[in-house]
Amino acid sequence: MIRLNRFLSTALRISVLVVFCACSSNSSSSKGKIGMTCMDLTNPFFKLIAMVMQEEASKYGYELVPLSGDQDAAKQNNQMVDFVAQGYAAIFLNPVDSKSAGEGVKRAHAAGVPVFTFDVQVTDEEASKLIQSHIGSDNFQGGRLAGKSMMEVTRDQGKIAILSLPRITSCILRVNGFKDYLKENNSMLEIVAELSGEGNRDDGYTVTTDILQAHPDIVAIFAINDPSALGAHSAVVKAGKEDQITIIGFDASPAGKQAVYEKKLYDSPQQFPRKMAIGTVRSFIKYLEGEDLPSNNFIGCAHYKYEDSLTDESRIKEQW
Amino acid sequence: MDRLLRDYGMIFVLLGLCIVFSVLTLEEQMPESNRVADQILKAVGKQNNKKTSVLTIGSSNKGSSTLAQQLEIFLKEEGFNSVRSVVGTPKDLRAVLDEMQTDNSFPHFIVPSQDVSKWRLFEQLLEKYPGSEKTQIVIPESYLWPNFLKKSNLLAVVDRIVVIAIMAIGMTMVIITGGIDLSVGSLIAVSAVVGTSIMKAMGGLEASSFVVLIGFLVGILFTGLIGAVGGLIVAYFKVPPFITTLGIMLMGRGLAFMITGGFSIYQVPPALTWLGQGKTVGIPNTVVLLVFLYIAAHIFMSHTRLGRYIYAVGGNEEAARLSGVSVGFVTTFVFLISGLAAGLGGCIQASQLNTGTPNMGLMYELYVIAAVVVGGTSLSGGSGKILGTLIGVFVISVIQNGMNLLGLESYTQQVVLGSVILIAVLLDKARSGGTFSGFFSRRNIIGNKDK
Repeated sequence: MIRLNRFLSTALRISVLVVFCACSSNSSSSKGKIGMTCMDLTNPFFKLIAMVMQEEASKYGYELVPLSGDQDAAKQNNQMVDFVAQGYAAIFLNPVDSKSAGEGVKRAHAAGVPVFTFDVQVTDEEASKLIQSHIGSDNFQGGRLAGKSMMEVTRDQGKIAILSLPRITSCILRVNGFKDYLKENNSMLEIVAELSGEGNRDDGYTVTTDILQAHPDIVAIFAINDPSALGAHSAVVKAGKEDQITIIGFDASPAGKQAVYEKKLYDSPQQFPRKMAIGTVRSFIKYLEGEDLPSNNFIGCAHYKYEDSLTDESRIKEQW
Repeated sequence: MDRLLRDYGMIFVLLGLCIVFSVLTLEEQMPESNRVADQILKAVGKQNNKKTSVLTIGSSNKGSSTLAQQLEIFLKEEGFNSVRSVVGTPKDLRAVLDEMQTDNSFPHFIVPSQDVSKWRLFEQLLEKYPGSEKTQIVIPESYLWPNFLKKSNLLAVVDRIVVIAIMAIGMTMVIITGGIDLSVGSLIAVSAVVGTSIMKAMGGLEASSFVVLIGFLVGILFTGLIGAVGGLIVAYFKVPPFITTLGIMLMGRGLAFMITGGFSIYQVPPALTWLGQGKTVGIPNTVVLLVFLYIAAHIFMSHTRLGRYIYAVGGNEEAARLSGVSVGFVTTFVFLISGLAAGLGGCIQASQLNTGTPNMGLMYELYVIAAVVVGGTSLSGGSGKILGTLIGVFVISVIQNGMNLLGLESYTQQVVLGSVILIAVLLDKARSGGTFSGFFSRRNIIGNKDK
C-alpha cells in the first residue's frame, strides 16, 4: 500500500514536471525580450495590437511577451515587476488604471528598463515624466469627425442624444471633440440627453430605450463606441424608428464596420491599432539608437462610412 | 520526521517547481567586474598601458552601471591613464560618441556591458561613426544563472503574494472550523478605499504618517467588524457561511464603489508607500510583516487554548460544545480574524499601488482558498496547518512568477495554474493515503467492504 502510494506520488510529481516542460517552448535567445501588458487581452483590439507588436519587434530581433492585466491593477503591477526582475529590454504598457500603474513605472525606471505607453496614458504626476514616449489615438479629433458627420446627416436640424462613458478619459475626449465641432460651426442641433451607455450593448440598449421614451422626436444619436451604438440601434429598431433616427458610433471595430456596411451606423470614426502597435515598437528602436523621442504621439482618426466599407477588405476578414 | 513529512509534504512540490523554473530560466547574466577586467587585460595584452584608452559603457540598470563604473576604477588602478565610463540611456551614449566624432578621439577599446552591446546604436557604430574604425570592442563574457534564482526575483516572489498570504492566515482558521469566507476579496477593496478616503479627507498629499496610520487602522477595524458581523450571523442564526459571506462579498464590492463613486483615490500622503514598498535593513517591510504574522499565527494555532478550540470546532462541533467549548464565540472569532487579515491585505495593496481602487482584489478569495487547500487544510474542517498554508501560498506565487518569467501567454497561464492546483491536491491525497489511492487500490476497496 505504502509502496503504491509512493509510486503514485512520484508519477504525479513527474507529470507536473512534464506539464511545465511542455509549456515552455524554448525561447531562442534573440537580442532580448520586451514585456507588454495591457488592460485585457480578451479584447480583440488589444489582441491585434499584441500580434502586430510581436511581428514588428521580431523584425528587429526582439521577442515580445504579451500579458493581460485582466483589469486588475495589482496584477499588472506584478507583471511589470517580473519583467524588471528578468532584465527585459523594455516594457510596453497600456495601464489598467492610469494612476496605480505609476508604481510599476517607477520601479522599472529605477532598474533602468525603459517604459513606453500606448493607447492610455499614465497620469501619475511623477511617473508620467519617466515614460519614454506615448502613442495613442487622437480621440478629440475623432470626436470632431463624429460631429462633422452628425451635422451632415441631420442637415443641422433637430434634437440629438449622446451615449457617453464618463469614467474613461478617452471617451470623455470623444464627447468633448464632438461638442467642440458643433460649437465651432454654430450648430443648430439641440443635445437633449447625454447619458452613460457604459460602452456596452446591454446598457446602450436600455439607456436608448429610456431616451426614446422621454424624447421620441430625436433625429440622431452619437455613441462613444460601437457596442453602445449597436445597442442603441437595437432599441431604435424595437421602437420602429430606424427611418427617423441615424446613429453614429466610434472605433470602426469589426462589428462596427459590418454595421456601417449594413447601414445600421452612418459613421464610425476609426482608430488605427496597427499604427499604434508599430509606432510603439519604432519608438523603442529609436530609443535604442539614441534619438530624441516626442513625449506624445497622437494618431489621427478617420471617417468610416458606407462608401469606405464597400472596398474595405478588413471588414470582410473581420479585422480592425 | 514522518509526521513532518505528512504535514508538510507539499514542500516537495514547491521544491520541484523551484527546480523546474530554475532550469527553464537559465540565462546569460552580467559578469562581475574583476572577471571582465582580467578579460580586458588579456585583450589589451602587455602593450603600453599608459597610452591605451578605454571607454566603458553601462545602461542605467544597476548591475550594468556598476560594472561600467567599477571597471573604470579597476583599470585606472592598473595604470591605464585615459579611461572613461558612460552610464545612462542610448541618448547619453550618443552624445558622447558625437563628441568623439568631432574631436576624432575614439578610444582604442570600447567595453559595453551585456545589455548595452545589444543597443541598436551600438550595432550601427561603424556606419554612423566611421572614425571608430580602429576601435576594438570587447564584450564581457557572460555566465549562466537562472533568472528565477536571482535575489531580486526571489524577493519579488515573496512580495507579490504578501496580500494573499496574509488573508490566507484568516482563511485557514475559517476553513479549519469547517466554514468558508468568500468576502475577503471585496473586503480588500473596502479597507483600501476606506483607508485612503480617510487619508484624502485628512489632508491628502500633505498629510503626515500619523494620518496614514489612522487610515490603516480604521480600514482594518472596519473590515474586522464586517467579518465579525458575518461570524455572528453564521454562529447564532445558523446561516451557512457560504451564503453569509457571499452576501457580504456583494455588499462589500458595492460599498467600495459607492464610497469612491467608481474612481481611484490617489490623493494620498507619500508616507503611504512605507508599508508596501519600504525596506527595513534591506528586507522589504512586507516580508518582515509576513514572517512575523506567520510565526504568531503558528504559535497561536498550536500552543494556545483558543487555537486548539478552533480545531475542535471543526473536527466535531457537537463534541466540542459538549466539552464546554463556546462554539459561537470561536466561530465569530475566526471570521473576525479573517476580516482583519483581509483589511490588512487591503492596506498593503493600497500601499503597494499608492492608490485605493474599488476593483482591487477581484477573485482573490479564490486564490486564497486555493492556497489554503494546496497547503493541506481540509475543506471539511478539523485539520490543517498554518505553515502548510504558507507553503501553499508560495506554490501559487512561484507558479505565477515562473510563468511570467517564461513569458507564457495569459490564457495558458490560467490553464496551467488551475491544473497545477488540482494536481498538487491530488498528489497530497495520494501521499496521505486518502480516497485517491483507494480509487486505484483493489485491496483497499475489499478492506472497506470488510468494515
